[in-house]
Order: sequence, then C-alpha cells, then structure tokens
Amino acid sequence: MSHRSSHVLLAGGALLMTASLAAQSGTPPGYNVEFLGPPLADPVMQYNKESYVAYGCAYCHGVNLVPRGEAPDLRQSALVGADVDGSLIVKALRAGFPTTTKLSPMPQYADVSERQLHAIAAWIHYARQRDRYASLVRGALPPGDPAAGRASFQDACSACHSVERDLAGIGRKYDAAALRDQILEPAGLRRAPSFTLERLRDARARDGQGRHQRLLENYSPAQVAHLAAYLQTVR
Amino acid sequence: MAVAREAAMYGRREFGRLVLSGLAALPALAPWPAGAQATGAPNRSLVNGVQFGLQPFCYHDLPMIPENRGRLIERLVQNGLGMVELHATWVEPRFAAPGVSARDAREQLRHWRLTASPEFYRAVRREFDNAGIAIFTYYVNINDSHTDAEIDAMFAGAKVLGARGCVGSQGLRVTERLAAFPGRHGMFMGVHNHANLSDPDALNNEASFVKALSFSPHVMATLDTRHYTAANGDCLAFLARHHARTSSIHLGDRKRNNGRSTPFGEGDAPIIEILRMIRDNAWPIVVLLEFEHGTLRRSVDEVQLIFDYCKRAVA
Repeated sequence: MSHRSSHVLLAGGALLMTASLAAQSGTPPGYNVEFLGPPLADPVMQYNKESYVAYGCAYCHGVNLVPRGEAPDLRQSALVGADVDGSLIVKALRAGFPTTTKLSPMPQYADVSERQLHAIAAWIHYARQRDRYASLVRGALPPGDPAAGRASFQDACSACHSVERDLAGIGRKYDAAALRDQILEPAGLRRAPSFTLERLRDARARDGQGRHQRLLENYSPAQVAHLAAYLQTVR
Repeated sequence: MAVAREAAMYGRREFGRLVLSGLAALPALAPWPAGAQATGAPNRSLVNGVQFGLQPFCYHDLPMIPENRGRLIERLVQNGLGMVELHATWVEPRFAAPGVSARDAREQLRHWRLTASPEFYRAVRREFDNAGIAIFTYYVNINDSHTDAEIDAMFAGAKVLGARGCVGSQGLRVTERLAAFPGRHGMFMGVHNHANLSDPDALNNEASFVKALSFSPHVMATLDTRHYTAANGDCLAFLARHHARTSSIHLGDRKRNNGRSTPFGEGDAPIIEILRMIRDNAWPIVVLLEFEHGTLRRSVDEVQLIFDYCKRAVA
C-alpha cells in the first residue's frame, strides 16, 4: 500500500512540477524535449499538450497526431473535423470506443476532469491545424476553379465576409500564394493569446478565430486552390 | 475466493489436461539458468528470484527499427535490464518505401525471411549477448498472409536469436493454426491478450486463454495485466490457475471497465501482489515491464521508475 501511495504522490508531484516549469520559457530537467518538442510559447496550449501526453493519448495517436500502430489517424478523423470546442471529442473520451474490429478498443476517460478532457480536445485541434497548415502550404498552389471557389465562399465564408464590402478588390491586393496564406491564416487572427479584458470581451474576434481554425483543419488542397482562384477574380 | 470461484468454471477433466500439459512444457521454460548469456553469470535483472525484462514498445520515443537496435541495447543496459521481448521489427529489414506497393513489400519480406541465413540472426544475438541481455521471446504478428514455410522460418530465426518462444497478439483462429509450429522447433507460442470484449475471436479473458491453451501444450499464456484488468479480469486468479501455462506477463497498470493506462500503482492491476505471488511461489514466469501511460519524461527514465517500483515490491 505504501508503495502505491508514495508512487502516486511522486508521480503527481513530478507531473505538476514538470507542467508548471514547462509553461515557463525554459526546458525543465527530465522533460523529454526530443520526443515532445520544445515547450510552446503559449502556456495554455502547452498545458493542453501536456494533458494529451500525460493521459496517454500520444502513446497510440502520436504527440503530433502521427499515429503509432493501429490507432486511427486523428488528422483525417471525421469526428474531430466535426467537433466544435470539444463537443464530440470530450463525449468520445468519456465513453471510449469499447466495440472495435481492431486489437484494442479505445479506453474510456470517465475519471478525468472536464477541464482536462477539453484540454486534450484543444490539443488535438491545434495539432491537426498545424499539420494541415504545413501540408497546405507545401509546394506550389495548384490551379483552381473560380466557380467552385465561389460556391465554397458562399458556403464557408459569406456569413462573415462579402466580396462587395470587406473583401472588395482583394484580387488586386494579393497574388494567389498570398491569398492562400490569408485564407489559411488571416493576418488579423495571428495575434498572440492575451488575457486582457479588452481581448477577452472581443467576442467577434474570438468567434472569427474559432471559425477560421475549424475551416483550416478541414480544408482540402483543392478547396483552398478554388477559393484562391475565385478571390483572384474579385478585382 | 476468486480462484475457487473461477476453478468451478472448468470441468475436472479439462483442468487436469491443462495442468498436465503445462507441466510437460515447464522444463522448457525456466528462463534464467539457461538464459542466452555467454558469460553464464546471473542475469542482471533477476531480482529476488523474479526475472524481469522489458517489452521495449514502451521506449515509445525510440522507433522499433533495426537501425535503433544499438540504442535499444544501450537503454536496456542503462535501465539495468538483462532480458527482452524483441519485436521482429527490431531485426528484419523494411521493404516498404515510396513507389513500392504494400503487396510487393510484403512479398519481399517473405522472400527475405525464407532466405535469411542463420548467421544473420547469430550476429544480432551476439549484439545482445555482448551486452548481457537474453532475448526471451520474439514478438511476431502472424496472420493469414503468412505461409507455413514463412512461419517455420520465423521460429527458426527466433531460435537462433536465443528466444524460448514467439509471442503474438493473434486471435484464436490463427492461434489454432500456429499451434503445430512451435513444437517442431522446441519452442512455445505465447498468446498475448488485449481488452477487446467485442470480438469473439480475441484473446481477452480467461475462457479465451483456456481455449488457446487447449490447442497444444506448446501454446503458453503471455498475460498482459493491463489489458486483462481493463477487461475486468482477475490477474491473481488467472495466475493461481494457469501459472504452469504462463510463460511471461506484460506487467503494467490500467483501470477496470476499459479504463485508461496509468502509472504503476494508480490503476486497478494488483502489481505488487502479482510480483509477490511469482516470487513466493518461485514460478518461472518472466515479468516483462511495459507501460502505455503518458509521461513527459524520457521513456528510459520512466522505465527506471517502474522497474524501481517493482524492485521495491519484491524486496
């Protein structure tokens, strides 16, 4: 019994210490930087990443979602793509997937706190967005179909943007590659995280960031090419 | 008691047959005196009569490829471990490459297995021998794509490596087919369980183990304590009944009801009690450490933590 108790305390203490140290700028002793990568500048996202790793998700799904063994590739998961702020992922984590044709069912995480489950979901989205961004900006932009891009725009962008108002003449302003960058990660949304009340109360910016992030992790190369081709015609 | 309750689940005739076949297989199992070490010295991870080793899948920051075999050996030595369950991917060349179809890669691997020389395996064994590490078992994932000749070649290669048996996570149907092979090589086939209770072919509970063990006295249990616990099995009851047919355990912790993997001592697997049971009964069951819980530490540091935990348990 004493073995068990002391180990829990040691493991818990070490984890807390590691997490708080990693949230600072340096790399703490014992932190597996080779495997996990250097601590992120954003301590909240670092906490999300550490929650994902500490609860064992990385063991099967990989730290950056490159799966090991038979685990599904979360970068391609329809469930993750449809998730909004953990609505589906947290539910799946709580229940697990006990029925499977694979060797091992996904475990359930019903004993883990709501906050930590949301942290895991947040890391999955972040890692998926980074991976999708890297793959979408790799290489030259393929030729796109403006008509298909117009349809995508109507579907994905027109709730917030208009080619007659905020995006009027955007095709004159940017070339195709720059448009691709703007579609994937608009400059206005690349601001560092902040907890000032002004930023926290800026619901419009927060909502816009969330929408763009959800679009980013679900874009296909063709969709981005079509959108860029369409926006180039807006002159 | 759980043992008595579970004993009642099997008929006397079947129980007697299992025990007898276990006894028949037992002489082939004692892992440490024969070891694979050239020196004949006691294995470095034999602790108070319990032989520890590692399932190095848990060096999750070290891809299991032949190029990393040297680093694997260094880490085992660093962790004070003298026995290993070696996955075939640490040994065999890879044929998957850009432009090579999966089918072609599979055929090339088959061809390699059928033509690999014993000297190749001897050279690999020497790497481990020189570091004082015995290869207890060779982990292979055999399925319907494997021909009989290929399976024989894998057992033959494993034997040259010094392995006492091959281990895999195949289901009951494939295990029944495999049952004929290990005896030809004087080896055993270890069957490893997972926690999949939705697949009737899966190794997942005591009944499925009993079925697999009935195929041949050369089939042995590789009890994974994490998955067995997650599938709501009783590891202590299993060992009490089937220790004579258990070649090794994959020792780790998980929570019941398909719960998550945890650091040792935080889940529902009775790790300390399992180790004491093996020690106090002097069972020749190799304890292969394995973890799947998350950690921010280097995996070599985590292995040291869990090994130290186990050493305290058998002190």
